[in-house]
Amino acid sequence: MKFVAITSCPTGIAHTYMAAEALEMAAKEMGEEIKVETQGSVGAENQLTEKDIREARVVIIAADTNVSKERFAGKTIIEVGVKDAIKDPKGLIQRAKDVKLEDKNNSKVISNIEEKKVEKKGPYKHLMTGVSYMIPFVAAGGILIAISFAFGILAFKEPGTIPAALMTIGGDNAFKLMIPILAGFIAFSIADRPGLVPGMVGGMLAATVGAGFLGGIAAGFLAGYTVEFLKKTIKLPKSLQGLMPVIILPVLSTLVVGLVMIFVIGKPMTMINVGMTNWLKNLSGANSAILGIIIGLMMAADMGGPINKAAYAFGVGTLVAGQTSMVMAAVMAAGMTPPLGIALATVLGKRKFTLEEREAGKAAWALGAAFITEGAIPFAAADPIRMIPSLMVGSATTGLLSMVFKAAIIAPHGGIFVLFIPNAVTNVGLYIVSIVAGTIVTSLMILLLKKDVTVKEDANIRA
Amino acid sequence: MNITELLSVKLIKLELNSKTKEDVINEMVNILDENGKLLDKDIYLKAVLDREKEFSTGIGMGIAIPHGKSSGVKEPALIFGRSVDGIDYQSMDDELAHIFFLIAVPEESSNEHLKILSQISRKLMHKELRDSLMKASSAEEIITLLDQ
Repeated sequence: MKFVAITSCPTGIAHTYMAAEALEMAAKEMGEEIKVETQGSVGAENQLTEKDIREARVVIIAADTNVSKERFAGKTIIEVGVKDAIKDPKGLIQRAKDVKLEDKNNSKVISNIEEKKVEKKGPYKHLMTGVSYMIPFVAAGGILIAISFAFGILAFKEPGTIPAALMTIGGDNAFKLMIPILAGFIAFSIADRPGLVPGMVGGMLAATVGAGFLGGIAAGFLAGYTVEFLKKTIKLPKSLQGLMPVIILPVLSTLVVGLVMIFVIGKPMTMINVGMTNWLKNLSGANSAILGIIIGLMMAADMGGPINKAAYAFGVGTLVAGQTSMVMAAVMAAGMTPPLGIALATVLGKRKFTLEEREAGKAAWALGAAFITEGAIPFAAADPIRMIPSLMVGSATTGLLSMVFKAAIIAPHGGIFVLFIPNAVTNVGLYIVSIVAGTIVTSLMILLLKKDVTVKEDANIRA
Repeated sequence: MNITELLSVKLIKLELNSKTKEDVINEMVNILDENGKLLDKDIYLKAVLDREKEFSTGIGMGIAIPHGKSSGVKEPALIFGRSVDGIDYQSMDDELAHIFFLIAVPEESSNEHLKILSQISRKLMHKELRDSLMKASSAEEIITLLDQ
């Protein structure tokens, strides 16, 4: 078993080190592994890394000073005086071996003096961990794609050019990692390191079977809890325990998650996509205002999922070479307002967003303007129940107006960059009005529905 | 940098005269003072006694390590004292203390000195060293043992 400890005494000259040595000696004799960080007068030595802490069964704090416990959130902590570690190091390690581990999501401090409980965390914390790791991928990929568009919206089609490279880096690679990272770190937050593999593979599958970020969230939670379940149920003789983290857990958990993603999640996704596509085709002749609303709702419903993809494909299908399309215009406008509306909301309602989200909101302006709907995904993933309806209402507004104004465009991508091309957009002025209107509606909806984030939640994200 | 910068033959007393905790601290502080390691004996003595009040530095296993970090110290130093009969130092294991290290550190002191002291503290946890220190017949031998 592995343990970590911190020793510290007021003068930091003698006892700190004696306690550390005593614990190390005792652990060695008992055949256990321990790493002891000394916080003495020369500062912290032999510092515990995040990995050490993660791998440790229990954290032992033998100190007569105030040792910060922030690093040990979610860990069982045994707190004693520094002299207890010098006097009876073996007893202390035995206690660390015997102590019943608390629920991983509740860290408990076992102390001779007082019992402290750290606040409860749960699925929300796991989701936020995933989102927080995903945000930079969205920003990196999205902004590189936007720069590619700045060279001309079709510039990336010329192989070997900088715009083509930017599109490959941003669109084909950074964005491809987005959902695996989201799912991987949700699972990581639940099950520590063993969660990462099934989480990332499940996330990748969510993307390839067309389940979008919502599928990715499902994959992450599935992977995390699968690993936790396997850890609890598989009992191996001691000689084989080394196989658990290296072979057994990764193979089994990835197998389970992968099969579920392909057969349970993947099949219905394809069916939804096909069903939606056929349904839209039948609507082609319907009232254009209603079609605009439907397209708007679909574009924002699952951003990258089967519904969004059906709407986008439907829009692209209406393009005839060299001619403008009203449906495509509505699709693009409705895909721009989710990130734009969020960006506006982060400015108007600072208290509704974490610091990290407010920073990401700045990138969302650029992503929305470039019709990179993915810019909205981290925000939607963090709070889907409130965000997705807000985004759908805003996009529906834009889709409706765009159709009513009879705006039309010539290209299937490019966002604001299309507007600069002569004759690429019909009714440019009103088209912009429809996008601005949708942006404002989106942000007002968000401000209405979203709750203030508390300081506590803010801290969790960085934990 | 090695232990000889902190501990010299003059600062080693193989047979302490004192029989009580208070006397032994005084005796060793006096040795420090006589060797010019202190600026103000009283200030340093108070620091050591205050430290003892928090809890006894008699850590058991026959060892006591009274220490003080104080402006009354001129330069970092270590005193080694030994009492074959043993002294009641109110140790944690209620056994008599035989080996005494008095540590003096100025308010501002270099990390090198502190590291040496921390290493000695670690070494003292090993029984072999404690047994050897009890058996050593000369001050030079003590230094050699601690310098290993």
